[in-house]
Amino acid sequence: MTASLLEVNDLCIARAGHEVVSGVSFALQPGSDTAVIGPNGAGKSTLVQALVGLLPHQGGTIRLLGHTLPRSGRLPREVRDQVAYLPQKLLLDGRFPLSVSEFVRLGCSPCCNRRKAVPAALERLQVSHLRRRLLSELSGGELQRVLLAFCTVHPRKLLVFDEPRTGLDPQAAVQLQELLQQLRLQEGLTILQITHDLSMVRRSSDWVLCLNRSLCCQGPPEHTLSREELERLYGRDYVLYEHSHHH
Amino acid sequence: MAPELISSLSLWQEPFMQRALIGGVISGILGGWVGSIAVLRQLSFFAEALGQASLLGISLALLLGLSPPVLLWPFALGFAWLLRELLKRSSLSADALLSLMCSGALALSVVLLSSLPGARLSLQQLLFGDILGIAWVDLIPLALLLVVTLAYGVISRRAQILISVDPVLARSRGVAVETHRLILLGLLALVVAASIKAVGVLLISGFVVIPACVARLLSRSFNVYVLLAAGIGALSAVLGLFGSAVFNQPSGPMVVLVQALLFVMALLAGRWVAQTTTAASVDRAR
Repeated sequence: MTASLLEVNDLCIARAGHEVVSGVSFALQPGSDTAVIGPNGAGKSTLVQALVGLLPHQGGTIRLLGHTLPRSGRLPREVRDQVAYLPQKLLLDGRFPLSVSEFVRLGCSPCCNRRKAVPAALERLQVSHLRRRLLSELSGGELQRVLLAFCTVHPRKLLVFDEPRTGLDPQAAVQLQELLQQLRLQEGLTILQITHDLSMVRRSSDWVLCLNRSLCCQGPPEHTLSREELERLYGRDYVLYEHSHHH
Repeated sequence: MAPELISSLSLWQEPFMQRALIGGVISGILGGWVGSIAVLRQLSFFAEALGQASLLGISLALLLGLSPPVLLWPFALGFAWLLRELLKRSSLSADALLSLMCSGALALSVVLLSSLPGARLSLQQLLFGDILGIAWVDLIPLALLLVVTLAYGVISRRAQILISVDPVLARSRGVAVETHRLILLGLLALVVAASIKAVGVLLISGFVVIPACVARLLSRSFNVYVLLAAGIGALSAVLGLFGSAVFNQPSGPMVVLVQALLFVMALLAGRWVAQTTTAASVDRAR
């Protein structure tokens, strides 16, 4: 059996004195695509931010790439270089004077050959033609692909996304998911993403974490996305809505 | 050649004019660089509040019988720290809190100044600057501040961009966001305090913010943006001083007026380029 890339045991996270996530345990296998689903306010963003060292945790353990993270949450340099995290929405304003290639270059580590790595990353994500455009001029789909180039310009092992398809039209969302799967297969990346898009989870993910402050269930999509489990996670109203939506 | 122009050219041989030119260029570069980052972080009103609070620093110095520059730099740093702490802890919105602090500091400084028997500085100089009054000794701290600011700018370039793009993204890449924010506010406070002599309390926020706004209209990369903002800051100081000598007008307002004119020109040039580009693409589509 392969060693887990990430092992979480009995994790508890509090924010402003209130426990937001409690007793969460799971493991990510290398090369897997894991989705975190759950209602708003379930602690999904809090959980993934703690996993990548952006938030401290109060109880339990996080073992990432063979290193046990300190409770303060700061990732050691050698771990940080192998992990990329993308927040839900960038706070970019209207005419931010930053070109696409300048931005992607910022994702390089000090040992990276920028002259080769940046054009290669832009090519891989099919955004070479955008390299001189301003980051603020890109459409939602283009921006997500550029952000992926930023994340993968330096070889990583784990990509963590907070709702990567927010604001994308269905076609752009599918294209982004296909690119993610391509990266996962070609480069052996492990993906952990928060999402509300259950149809995409059914198609692409091989493991699902159902979170509502604690883990309601976890497992492959065919088990976790059953009517009973979704009703347990979101409540009866959500399943009724999904049922009427499909008919 | 017009007699005004000849006499203004001969003025450049005077030491006071040379000192003003050096001081103006250094202040312009400092204001341009720090302003370029401040504008991206939406700290323009913060610069305005610091500028007006500087008048309180000067009033306190006069009240205590100190030389204003001695107290002004630490006062500006302290006021910037106080503003940051209040913004972090208060439930008021940033613009309401800054407006409150700004007006409060201005009101208190006017009361203090008017209570001073025979104020040693004219209100005109305080409000609009006295760039021609810069002494050699004033240039030393300015030059040191320039070296420190530029060195920090080069070292922290990646961090500054990532924080401006998104602070959470910056933290995930290992950037010490709070430390860099604190250093930037400190530098902004020092640059405002150092440039008060050149452009005065009322014009300082424009002096810091306008070069960045001009550069933003003309730039398509971060490096060009920052260099252009610093260059425009320096160029407007030279042109403003020259205009001040030719038209016999106060120098601080002339510097800011040049900056405002450059902004209008950049705006028009930007629109013309956009229209030309659109027309060319329509032609190509046909």
